[in-house]
Amino acid sequence: MTALLLTLLCATAVAVLRMRGLFAAVMLMGIFSFLGAGWMLLLDAPDVALTEAAVGAGISTILALATLALTTRKAKRPVRPSALPLAVVTITGAALLYGTLDMPRFGDPEAPASNYPQPSYVERTDHDIHIPNVVTAVLGSYRGYDTLGETVVIFTAGIAVLVLLRGSRKRRPAADGGEDAA
Amino acid sequence: MILAAVLAAIIVTMGLALVRAGKGPTVFDRILALNMFGTKTVLLIAVIGFITGRPDFLDLGLVYALINFIGVIAVLRFSKYGDFADPDREKAS
Amino acid sequence: MMPESAFEIVSAVLMLTGALFAVIGGIGVVRLPDFFCRIHGAGITDTLGAGLILTGLMFLSPGWIVTAKLVSILVFLWITSPTSTHALANAALETGLRPRVDEAEEASSIP
Repeated sequence: MTALLLTLLCATAVAVLRMRGLFAAVMLMGIFSFLGAGWMLLLDAPDVALTEAAVGAGISTILALATLALTTRKAKRPVRPSALPLAVVTITGAALLYGTLDMPRFGDPEAPASNYPQPSYVERTDHDIHIPNVVTAVLGSYRGYDTLGETVVIFTAGIAVLVLLRGSRKRRPAADGGEDAA
Repeated sequence: MILAAVLAAIIVTMGLALVRAGKGPTVFDRILALNMFGTKTVLLIAVIGFITGRPDFLDLGLVYALINFIGVIAVLRFSKYGDFADPDREKAS
Repeated sequence: MMPESAFEIVSAVLMLTGALFAVIGGIGVVRLPDFFCRIHGAGITDTLGAGLILTGLMFLSPGWIVTAKLVSILVFLWITSPTSTHALANAALETGLRPRVDEAEEASSIP
């Protein structure tokens, strides 16, 4: 099942790369996000899958479309294929793959991820905070200030994007009349 | 066994929707494929939840259905008006 | 694995029929000649396919809360899927996409 999903994932990625119309590419990216979320679900990570769907398929699609509204819908054809980007991508990919060699086996109880934040959190949560979900307890209470900071950053970014989109729209009707009729 | 067959059928349908999203030819074909893909993802999540014996995943399916609907409406709004401006207010100004 | 109880048989029949409809709708989306026809294919997967599969899952659910979630997903799909399909067709019509019709019919229908 995972292999099937990953095949579809690769097919979508190749289709996005070969697409010249940017609108179609955005649609395919939405599909890619849904597929990625399904795959994460198969890997037993429902919380990541939830975020992937909300951010990847929801907000990213809308932001990309808003960008298209401000710019243009067609990708420029590259003047000539250049070897430099390919080299950069290959080297980065190889470095990332090399990095995964050091990673602990999947589900290893000795892995730092299973040991570093003390497992005693799991035992203490019930007594300290009286809620059953340990992740929520860590995010909302043990690391409350951290979460507050993250929320402020994301909120500010959202407001900034909204202001940018709004400010550019006021000037638009004079600049380009009806050229972007679908 | 039966659940696995249903899962395979759903993934095949996803592949078919993907073909349509890639082929186009109009913008609306692609939006249709995206919408269909979203619905199939909801089904996929529900079936996976039952296969792994953790039907709690259904909450996720519900969220996906919501996101899919909002996304399609937003995309349609974009393809109709060219941006997310409020058409009534634009007329008034 | 053979189905044991009557519930499992009912659920298997419902889900397999739903899966069949989903694949048929998918084939329709790929092969039908025109956008407005393809909406029909997508409609099959979204209503019959999703409806039958979710109803089949309801027969397998271990408790009432899972059934309630399945029902709410189903109701939600029933409300949103026609809405988005309608909005899609409406937007396509407004941007000037016309359904393909027989040439003879078209000629006679033009006033």
